[in-house]
Amino acid sequence: MDDALTILALESSCDDTAAAVVRGRPGAAQVLASVVQGQDDLHQAFGGVVPEIAARAHAERLDICVKQALTQANLTFSDIDAVAVTAGPGLIGGVLSGVMCAKGIAAGTGLPLVGVNHLAGHALTPRLTDGIGFPYLMLLVSGGHCQFLLVRGPEDFSRLGGTIDDAPGEAFDKTARLLGLPQPGGPSVQAEAENGDPTRFAFPRPLLDRPGCDLSFSGLKTALLRARDALIADKGGLTEQDRADLCASFQAAVVDVLAEKTRRALEVYLTDKPPEPVLAVAGGVAANTAIRASLETVSADVGARFIAPPLALCTDNAAMIAYTGLERFATGKTDDLTLAARPRWPLDTASPALVGGGKKGAKA
Amino acid sequence: MPSEALVLGFDTSAAHCAAALLLGDRVLAATSEDMGRGQAERLMPMLEEMLSGSGKNWSDLKAIGVGVGPGNFTGIRISVAAARGLALALNIPARGVDTFSASELGRTGTVLPTVPAPRGQLYLRPPGEAPTIAAADSVDSHGLPPVPPPAPAVLAENIARIAAAGGGTVPAAPVYVRPADASPSSTPPPTILADDP
Repeated sequence: MDDALTILALESSCDDTAAAVVRGRPGAAQVLASVVQGQDDLHQAFGGVVPEIAARAHAERLDICVKQALTQANLTFSDIDAVAVTAGPGLIGGVLSGVMCAKGIAAGTGLPLVGVNHLAGHALTPRLTDGIGFPYLMLLVSGGHCQFLLVRGPEDFSRLGGTIDDAPGEAFDKTARLLGLPQPGGPSVQAEAENGDPTRFAFPRPLLDRPGCDLSFSGLKTALLRARDALIADKGGLTEQDRADLCASFQAAVVDVLAEKTRRALEVYLTDKPPEPVLAVAGGVAANTAIRASLETVSADVGARFIAPPLALCTDNAAMIAYTGLERFATGKTDDLTLAARPRWPLDTASPALVGGGKKGAKA
Repeated sequence: MPSEALVLGFDTSAAHCAAALLLGDRVLAATSEDMGRGQAERLMPMLEEMLSGSGKNWSDLKAIGVGVGPGNFTGIRISVAAARGLALALNIPARGVDTFSASELGRTGTVLPTVPAPRGQLYLRPPGEAPTIAAADSVDSHGLPPVPPPAPAVLAENIARIAAAGGGTVPAAPVYVRPADASPSSTPPPTILADDP
């Protein structure tokens, strides 16, 4: 494989400090090393990611993660072809730390620098894990994002719809907080839901009555809070069964909304007549087994293959940034040392901005 | 005679990008640009210009001195992250030098180094004590001459001098003094009752 490229990447856009090395070509690459250092312990007491705390940790951990990744891959800088880094969107303090560390590495080694969009990293992961071709439909669903992307090329993304307020991951975290369950909320709400009755509380399915693929989750959060408060007002607290039922009913609503919106997005995607239709998911929420199962059903219904990368490559990681950097670098694209960190950086600049997304595009 | 060490010092802990290049104890270049924003974009090109202007390369460096604050949190991280990346790539130490030490350099007698802090306060480091933050008018109570940071280019030069002498801390780490603004979740968890019989 003479034309194989070896890319080192850094990722620090939220609460995971990560570095990775990927080698290969577009559509045929492998992960040589992937280091992810989480910060759950630092943010636990605050019930959510505190940007300043995250930025502080990134600034002092990135170089260590890079060193670990090179050691794991048994490589040195002289084996690397380019340094890729998440340049946004995300929590700006963390993104800045990553961009500056990558600039230091690029300057010191003389290696080319490649700025990567974090969302593109998630969106191209199925090409890294499964080598799939374009076009495919991507549902990116995490603590910070929720959007349907029609992926036609490494830098060709059309957003078919997205959340107009919260991301589902945020809603899971908030639910956990309201019910006194540990963070991150995804796994703890799912575990509770397994013992609960999903039909006990009739939570809303926001935006299902409207056409299109946009989603909304903040109303669902409020409905959960009301149901909880009604129970507390009634008997001074929640029983374990109440809590399990609240979780199950909440999760059922998220599943229904995602399934229906995915069905609609698939419809739009299939008008492209893709030779081998694929629905891929990425993001931490894709780890939820109930959501995964329903997405699988929805794609099977229309004859699309369903791809969910392994969890380690679904949640934030640097391998996806390395791979996306590889796709960019392979087409001759690099950045210079003026590369800016961007808190907002929509993948799709042609589609109308999401409601609440602001002029500058998707939030972190 | 061993060749003299080339040391680069830089600082973005306040509204500036400042850098200085030392060869032995000779200043080859020292410069600063005032900027409220855009340090992350400007810093590395500025350092490259300084090196090439002196006919030097990154690989000629023997050490880096980096300003670790206190000051603007984001600004400190910009320099510290870059310095740590450079140190890793060049396999040389990045020495973290705080603004207090850089301000004191060359002063005779005991002084009270101070750094402007938000809301009319000052970061202080009384002799032999950990840095702290206090109201600006509390300076007098220490009975020592207060010393604010020098002009940015001099600050960078002093940082480089301290690093060249093997001072500062490795690995370079920001000196924030203030904890992150964050308060524990205000939502108390609900009381969990025994299950209904």
